[in-house]
Amino acid sequence: MATAPKAEPARHVGGLLRPENLPVVLTIAAMVVGVAALLPLVQSSSSTSTAGDIQKLEDEKTGIQAQLQELEIDVARMGSLEWIEKGARTRFRMTSPEDTIYLPVDSTPPEARKIPDRYLTESQGTEPTGGSSIWEDVFGWVPLP
Amino acid sequence: MAKRKGFATWRVWALVAVIALGTLAVVARLVQLQIIDHSEYADQARLMHQNHETLSDRRGAILDRNGHPLAASEDSFEVYVEIKSWKDPAKAAEAAREIAAICGGDWEEMVATVEGTDVFEVPVAEGLDFAQSEMVKALNLRGVRLVRTSQRVYPEGSLASQLLGIIGRDNVGLTGLEADLNPVLAGQQGSLVSERDGLGNPLPIGEQSSVPAQRGANVVLTIDRYIQRLAERELDKAVKEHGATGGTIIVVQPKTGEILAMANRPAANLNAPDLSSDSALSLLRNVAITDSYEPGSTFKLITMAGALDTGLVAPGVWWEDTGVFYVDGWAIRNWDLSANGSLTADQILVKSLNTGAAWLSSLLGPERFYDYVYRFGFGAPTGIDLSGEVEGLVRTPTNDPSGWRPVDMATNSFGQGISATPLQVAMAVAAIGNDGLSMKPQIVREIAGPVGTVFEPEASQQVITPESARTLLEMMGVVVDGIPAHLLDVQGYRVGGKTGTANIADGSGSYKDNAYISSFVGVAPLEDPQLAVLVKIDEPKDVPWGTVVAAPAFGNIVQDALAYLKVPPHTEAMVSAQQ
Repeated sequence: MATAPKAEPARHVGGLLRPENLPVVLTIAAMVVGVAALLPLVQSSSSTSTAGDIQKLEDEKTGIQAQLQELEIDVARMGSLEWIEKGARTRFRMTSPEDTIYLPVDSTPPEARKIPDRYLTESQGTEPTGGSSIWEDVFGWVPLP
Repeated sequence: MAKRKGFATWRVWALVAVIALGTLAVVARLVQLQIIDHSEYADQARLMHQNHETLSDRRGAILDRNGHPLAASEDSFEVYVEIKSWKDPAKAAEAAREIAAICGGDWEEMVATVEGTDVFEVPVAEGLDFAQSEMVKALNLRGVRLVRTSQRVYPEGSLASQLLGIIGRDNVGLTGLEADLNPVLAGQQGSLVSERDGLGNPLPIGEQSSVPAQRGANVVLTIDRYIQRLAERELDKAVKEHGATGGTIIVVQPKTGEILAMANRPAANLNAPDLSSDSALSLLRNVAITDSYEPGSTFKLITMAGALDTGLVAPGVWWEDTGVFYVDGWAIRNWDLSANGSLTADQILVKSLNTGAAWLSSLLGPERFYDYVYRFGFGAPTGIDLSGEVEGLVRTPTNDPSGWRPVDMATNSFGQGISATPLQVAMAVAAIGNDGLSMKPQIVREIAGPVGTVFEPEASQQVITPESARTLLEMMGVVVDGIPAHLLDVQGYRVGGKTGTANIADGSGSYKDNAYISSFVGVAPLEDPQLAVLVKIDEPKDVPWGTVVAAPAFGNIVQDALAYLKVPPHTEAMVSAQQ
């Protein structure tokens, strides 16, 4: 009695599920899961690092601004009338005039002093800046109701 | 054998069922926590981790008319300590010593401050500059953090202290322009919402949203720091020389109404204001606008202005001074009880005759006299952009019909029984120097910010005709010509003015004994007035006369200020012209 030949199991996918291939499959699956798990970690690490850099730069900016303000105040103090008069009297040994003498000078008078630019406040935006956590962004992509 | 196998299957299924039930319970709880009650727990977590901060940017500076800062802000830092990090006394002492070595102060006091509180964290040092803050940061002390704040600095010291005013610890203006212009100077506060970890440190990738604070605008005043300093120097000198209790000097540009200087003594120290008592607080009051006084003989200018403007008198009109002028049965006498006989009307100002002023007011009559008083700005606030201004006291037949008597007008005509602020007097004389056109006093010239505002001079009204004003100026020039040169001599310029020596009301309807206000008010140069100056010295101890006490200060201010403003002197004063 002739019997039909037993059909061979499919080689492509089914073959992988054979008991002898199972360790390989499990290893590959574990690696895939591991890599998938590492991806957010890498992304999170990168984000943290960038955010840290930004904060560091913000701190530097704040520091430089503080130094700038101190220098501005120093300039103002050194340009104060009291400081100038003290310098004139002590360093240059100048004294107040006894008499006033007027001389005609054949030159145009200097222009009136203008308000220094640093006191003209630059325009500043008032739009609120918003941020969100990386997980909010990730879940934002998921089409959940 | 089959029985044992069935038992084993039952036990497996029982175990599976228990695990399944347990798993279901956990899943159910998770569903409750993460889905059903999600928003409630999310809110609780947010409350625990979210940090709300109010952001403030730098307060605007107050600048003089040439852009020199009179008050500005700079960053300063405060050192905060988290109390739980200083629980160990030895470690706390060590950390406090290190902080004190940088910031100054007593380290034991710092430790005591931390020990004596139960709040999360407390400040132990303040007022650090940037370099100090970096040094504290470098110590890397556990539980110690720096908080950025700002402090007000005054590059010109306490110049114009009452005018500028002070701010509180919360950066809000308390007095003076700091208070009046607080909304402009302070800018707009912003906010920052961020996430913190369990230790309170900000999470770099946490949720964050912020509305940036808007920097305060810088305010440009009409004050000129050079002339302000000049005024304060001369005021100090006069007060010291004559043992006075205080005084006020105001310098105005007649053509614009811009205040170039407004100085009062005694004054507060802006760098260390004393707020401990009422008398200390009173030093912050700008008495040039908040306090009125009886202007005395300087007010004769107003009486004369009215008489000239209505054409009742002219400088050369003759008049007989018998030494007494009767009004409604009351005898008005001169300050020196003199009787000067026949003299011209301008001598009423030169000799400062009370009888002459009373005569002029009788010619005008109450209606016209008080009309001119009001037109010159007395009895009403000047409208300067400063709070606390008083209007002074002018009693007339209209506003005080039962109390006013004709003799009141006679005494008002020489500046007694009427009160005015120093600013009102200065502005009245400025109007005379501006061809009779009064200007609104201006103290703020510009607000320099994203939306800048420039304030233009504003005319109030034509008080007297330009011709009357010119005539009065000439009479003021004659007054100054009669003052000895050692008391008033402005080289290179012709100036005009009027002295005043007034009694001081004691608040009970009488006058203080042997207490006077000596004043001088004038304009310069006479041909084209660029400055109107009021010098008022309170209660000088040696002599009461305005000529001796106040006129020298006027001369010194005008001499320096005109040269500083590059106002050309008359040609005879030029050295090359003489040669």
